Amino acid sequence: MGDTARKRRPVKSGYFTVPADPAEAPKLLGTRCDDCGEYFFPKRAVCAKCLSENTAEAEIGPSGTLYSYTFVHFPLFGSTKMEHVGYGVGQVDLPEGPRVQTPLAGKQEDFRVGMPLVAELEPIREDGDTDVVILRFRPAEAGGAR
Amino acid sequence: MSNRTTLRDVAVLGVGMHRFGMWPDSSNAEMGRIAGLAAMKDAGVSFRDVDAAYVGQIFAPVMTGVRVMKEFGLTGLPVQRLDNASATGSACFYEACHAVSCGRYDVVMVLGFDKMTSMIQESGQNTDPAYLEDAILPAGFFAMWATRRMHERGTKVEHLAKIAAKNWNNGGKNPMSQRQPDKPVSAEKVLAARMVAWPLTTMMSCPIGDGAACAIVGRADLAKKLNPGRPVVRVLASDLQSERYERGHLFMGPVVGPARMTVDTSAAVYEGAGLGPKDVDLVQVHDAFAIEELEYYELLGLCGRGEAEACIERGDFELGGRVPVSTDGGLIARGHPGGPTGLAQIWETTLQLRGEAGPRQLAKARTGLCHMMGGGSVCAISVLQRA
Repeated sequence: MGDTARKRRPVKSGYFTVPADPAEAPKLLGTRCDDCGEYFFPKRAVCAKCLSENTAEAEIGPSGTLYSYTFVHFPLFGSTKMEHVGYGVGQVDLPEGPRVQTPLAGKQEDFRVGMPLVAELEPIREDGDTDVVILRFRPAEAGGAR
Repeated sequence: MSNRTTLRDVAVLGVGMHRFGMWPDSSNAEMGRIAGLAAMKDAGVSFRDVDAAYVGQIFAPVMTGVRVMKEFGLTGLPVQRLDNASATGSACFYEACHAVSCGRYDVVMVLGFDKMTSMIQESGQNTDPAYLEDAILPAGFFAMWATRRMHERGTKVEHLAKIAAKNWNNGGKNPMSQRQPDKPVSAEKVLAARMVAWPLTTMMSCPIGDGAACAIVGRADLAKKLNPGRPVVRVLASDLQSERYERGHLFMGPVVGPARMTVDTSAAVYEGAGLGPKDVDLVQVHDAFAIEELEYYELLGLCGRGEAEACIERGDFELGGRVPVSTDGGLIARGHPGGPTGLAQIWETTLQLRGEAGPRQLAKARTGLCHMMGGGSVCAISVLQRA
């Protein structure tokens, strides 16, 4: 069963694209203000900068720059479960302007402030013949760090 | 100079607390009653003297506010429940002070309580990094403040550990503190604690807890009448602000900031109180994580931009330092149940200004500032001064 045969759907719709070609990087679904040109993620109806209602959907990314990061060892606030392996999270500056917080692919040693990143889709579970995917960022030069 | 944050003749008439901690067998009503009765006793008022109540609880089932208030009796007073995340108690205090200042009421009860322990038992589910909104928890969010600060200013984990150790040790001198170490806590011990979100360890993070705190605020002339001979603790100014948009604003996750919000809110309050950061003798901040306290030193103007690390090394913010911060242990040690947290800051500041803070009493304590952030986000700041 080839990977290319499997269908993919986002864990939550309206936040990122799922390209038909698995080799193509996903984009984030945001908003651009037609009056002042400011971009936002996620989508919003009213421009937060100039308050215009003259806004339109816009695709943002998929490249980004790491503004800050951490590696969460014990994620749930107050959790008593200890089996987590942890995961990276980052604040990513997108070239259009928005800063987003997303999971990061890789280990803590893989990250450094200011590094170039690219968005990717990661399957988190299967639903029949479909992979349910999340959006995360990975170091651009690593070409698929896991 | 006065502005919209300025309060006219408003005083803290009394304060009371139920110690913060893990109290599985105590209800919100019970903890709230203990804190409220203590505050009324401290103020020298009976519940019949209370004109109105603002009740703060973050995770409130419907009707909780008004139901808990029945613990004191049923006198027909207006009761309102407010929520503003971590700043819930501070937001109630802000509303109560301005209600007294504009002449609406003479005596107001501000009561906060919460039970984070029961919240966890009820939620039970585990966080799935699948969800953009759920993957970034408060510890992770503030850990990213730390990473960025280390990148920009060369901050060391030892600076964060020193702040946390200070707050643990201050908590050891506060009978109402959740964390009361029996021997002094070192920065090394803080660093050796379990990692939550790099570089923040459990000991650099506030605990989960339950508790209640209460302040009775009212006309300043009543403070003198009710407790002749005791110093009057006036509230000079109080403000609450939400965010202003700037590029890079984060719209998703448990977000606090941007940093400018603390700068803007404190500037308004300093002006409204007619003083500046150099006039402040003690400060309480939203130190849910040690990196926050470090940033607030600068954002509140307690030191210049980029000077926090040198000040920490000198011990400027320790008890007995230039301007002590988190004198009661802060959120890290005293605890952070939610609704009552901002009122615990008022409790501590009031006792310090009256000279009743016991083993942690400061030699010079005339003016105190209380700062809280609420996720979402808001910043609430009040300035108290001994008359």
